[in-house]
Amino acid sequence: MRGEHIGELEELVLLTVGALDREAYAVLIMEEIKNNSSRNMDVTAIHSVLRRLEKKGFVASEMGGATAERGGRRKRFFTLTRSGRKVLDETMDLRMNLYAKLPKLTFSTLS
Amino acid sequence: MSPHPPRWADRFLQWFCRRDILEDLQGDLYEIFDHVVAVKGQRRASWIFVWLVFRSFRPSAIRLNVKVKNSIFMQSKINLKVAFRVLKRDRSNSLINLLGLTIGISCFILLGLYVKQELSYDHFHSKKDRIYRSWLKEDYGEGKIFFNSNTPLRFESLLEENFPEVERSVQITRFEFLTGKGENKLREEVYVVSPDLLEVFDFKLLAGNPESPIPTRNDLLISEQFARKYFGNENPVGQPFYLSIGPELREFTITALMADIPSESSVQFDLAISSANDDILYDDRVRQAWFTIIPETYVLINENSSIQTVEAGMQDVVMSYLEGEVERDVYQIGFQPLTDIHLNPDIPLGFAPVGNPEYVSILGFVGILVLIIACINYTTLSAGQSIKRAKEVGVRKVMGAPRKGLMGQYLTESVLMSQVAMLLGTVIAIVLIPTFNLLTGVTLSYAFQWWHIGLYFAIGLFIGLLAGAYPALVISGFKTVSILRGSLQSVGGMSVRKGLVVVQFLMTVFLLSTTLIMKKQVNYLKNADLGYDYEAVISTQLPSDPEAQRLSQQITSGMENGELLKARLEQYPEISRIARGSHIFGTNGWTGLAYTDDKGVFRQFRLLVVDDDYLDAFGIEIVDGRGFEANNGLDRRQSVILNETAAKYFDLEKPVGSKLPGNDFDEHRIIGVAKDFHFTSLHSEIEPLVIVQNIIPIARGVSDSDFGDTVVPKLVFTYSGSNLTKGTEILQKEWEALFPNVSWNFEFISENLQNQYQGEIRMNRLITVATVLSIVIASLGLLGLIMLVANAKLKEIGIRKVMGASAGAIFKLLSKGFVWQLLIAIVLSIPLTIWLMNSWLENFAYRTDIGAGLFVISALLSVIVAGLVILYHTVRAMRVNPIKSLRME
Repeated sequence: MRGEHIGELEELVLLTVGALDREAYAVLIMEEIKNNSSRNMDVTAIHSVLRRLEKKGFVASEMGGATAERGGRRKRFFTLTRSGRKVLDETMDLRMNLYAKLPKLTFSTLS
Repeated sequence: MSPHPPRWADRFLQWFCRRDILEDLQGDLYEIFDHVVAVKGQRRASWIFVWLVFRSFRPSAIRLNVKVKNSIFMQSKINLKVAFRVLKRDRSNSLINLLGLTIGISCFILLGLYVKQELSYDHFHSKKDRIYRSWLKEDYGEGKIFFNSNTPLRFESLLEENFPEVERSVQITRFEFLTGKGENKLREEVYVVSPDLLEVFDFKLLAGNPESPIPTRNDLLISEQFARKYFGNENPVGQPFYLSIGPELREFTITALMADIPSESSVQFDLAISSANDDILYDDRVRQAWFTIIPETYVLINENSSIQTVEAGMQDVVMSYLEGEVERDVYQIGFQPLTDIHLNPDIPLGFAPVGNPEYVSILGFVGILVLIIACINYTTLSAGQSIKRAKEVGVRKVMGAPRKGLMGQYLTESVLMSQVAMLLGTVIAIVLIPTFNLLTGVTLSYAFQWWHIGLYFAIGLFIGLLAGAYPALVISGFKTVSILRGSLQSVGGMSVRKGLVVVQFLMTVFLLSTTLIMKKQVNYLKNADLGYDYEAVISTQLPSDPEAQRLSQQITSGMENGELLKARLEQYPEISRIARGSHIFGTNGWTGLAYTDDKGVFRQFRLLVVDDDYLDAFGIEIVDGRGFEANNGLDRRQSVILNETAAKYFDLEKPVGSKLPGNDFDEHRIIGVAKDFHFTSLHSEIEPLVIVQNIIPIARGVSDSDFGDTVVPKLVFTYSGSNLTKGTEILQKEWEALFPNVSWNFEFISENLQNQYQGEIRMNRLITVATVLSIVIASLGLLGLIMLVANAKLKEIGIRKVMGASAGAIFKLLSKGFVWQLLIAIVLSIPLTIWLMNSWLENFAYRTDIGAGLFVISALLSVIVAGLVILYHTVRAMRVNPIKSLRME
């Protein structure tokens, strides 16, 4: 399954891209992550992760329409691809399976 | 207009960023910038923008167009791989290249460390930029100057009281006291220092109160080394320690222990007491005197203050006391930065020896020279080897390699080589430091710091680029067609290569002649006729009466003690020519006196106090009048002998029978003129010298005095026995019988005389090491070059051998070309050497001439070395079976 493995940060970004649905671009992704997990991220790190994800084929991108803001620069919007969705599902499944096997919380595990 | 992020950062982003991601990345950064401006202001936003641009500079975002891809930068991985292979393939050449560079670099580092040490003297004090040492100059016009870095005792308090700019001022004085109680007294140098000394200087205190290490007059500060000597491993703090000061034996308590002072410090001491003791050490008159100079005075000025204000102000303060006594510009006070002390020979010596700035630059120059020789060595060898690699270049060019790429390849090789050499060279240099110290008499040490790695890397890179630039140009410039046709007979730039070989020979021959000339001068200094006999003359310092306060009493009591010892030594037949004198040869600090004579002329001279036998003991010749007669009461009381220089200096028409031209002298008479002899080192001209048996008649008329070193008399004698140990046993036995509580030591005058030229001897040794290494490097280069010639001519040699050529013919074939280069180098080196060495020799008042013989020797030596190298190859070439060399291809 080499190549389809994703890291924790990649997973987070991928999830956010999916959650933002067609509105996802780097700055917004950064803010969304900040709002949800209070994790302060650097926009360049987001860019780098997005490039990696695109290379792996988990996200696709296209340029938005022209704007007067941002010095006239367009935004690059990211969307989740089919294989991106698949890898997220697999990761979630794996986690749920393993989570289900955790023993019930008892006093003995606490002590 | 709305704020804009820093343009340079924006442009940098546009330069490196991949085109396809630039627009949205830049857009995002602008958006964040605008946002931060609104919340936190433009300044903050700019910082964040710059930070983000740099964060974006990562491989996945960097533009990879054709230009960057082919640059040295991106190709380095492949280049490195190829470089490793090439270096491995040509083992012997690589080894010669590497060895040459490594030796050059080690030599450069060692000399560099020495130069750095000399330049960084006193730089370890954190307040070094604010510390100054005071000097005093009495200028009576017409070059009659009394110039010293010792000052009156009053300076310290005057500076502190009158100037708000002065944060602290401290004084340091050197004394010699007997230490210990009861038996086995040792004579030790004791420094009398201001108690707040450590507020100015950064000497590390291991125990004691750093704010006031010697709070009372009975406290003592000692160094670790001193503690080991007297207390071994015991804790010295709190222990009592005895010093004989004046008439009394005083008990001190050790209150502070100091780490040993680094060798690159001008202020050096192992044992210090507080200047609160000044009242016992000097009488009131001396403490108030303006013309008796004793301590060195240092000031620490406040930040943002200028020493000029203090300098001018101090002049006014002193003049307010000296009003009417001297003219204003006669008595001048000045200050010299602490960091200037070690390498400024224009200001007279204080307590610390001063280095010669010229030697430092000469040695720095030699270090760079050796490095250049090593670089040229690499250059010529690599350019020579280039023929071998012609095919590779041809193939690469046909495949479309641009010239820049090829140059990158060759530069990668040279940089790789120089980095390895740098690493090896550094390690070797560090390992060799103790040997180097032993060999040259310097005290180098090396303390590693992390930033050095960067420095070494940078130097290695520089050397690599320097040494590799020319071969890279040559190799990459080969014409593709001619290479592949195989007609690369005359490699372009042969003349440049020949020129470089000439330069390399030139530098080596230059270093060789320089070494020889320096050797000659040092030998001249050692063997010059000084005007007296010093062979087998031993001197020992006499104890003076501990109660003697005044100078004349000290001298007199020392002389009396000497009389006792002399009487006892006279019974031994192997000890002869026993005499006493206030100064002996080969030491600095001969007493200097000055006065204004009856015509108002300022006069300075040196003083030597002797007994009847001193002049005879040293074989000093009297050219006019007579010497001192034994048991002549008048001689002992009032007779004076001048040296020839003094006779001229005092303008005496008939010196014998007249008096010194001054009003205030007591009754005295000049009875003779001694032939000039070199009582100080040959660096300086002979000064006027007045020789007396009784100091009093002269002392009365003197207005300025400088007692540089100790005036305690010494006993000298010649030991003619064969067993020196027996001689010292005799001396020890008689000494102990007379002065049971005082330790004794002895010196050989001839050794003292040699020590005067330590600086020259040391420099000569340093340059000798550099020369030997540069000869090694140059021969290595020659070895490599001839190897190439021999390989290229393998077929020719084979054919000649088959036809019956002799070894001589082959030797001639191989040496052709090099002979001319060597000859040109030798001829060119002569004017260069003469020019540089003449300026060095100007340091000496007495010097040898350069002489043609030296050049013949160095020329012969270099020819012999070259000849041996060629001979070695001739033998190798002769031994190759011609069948092998002719069967190739």
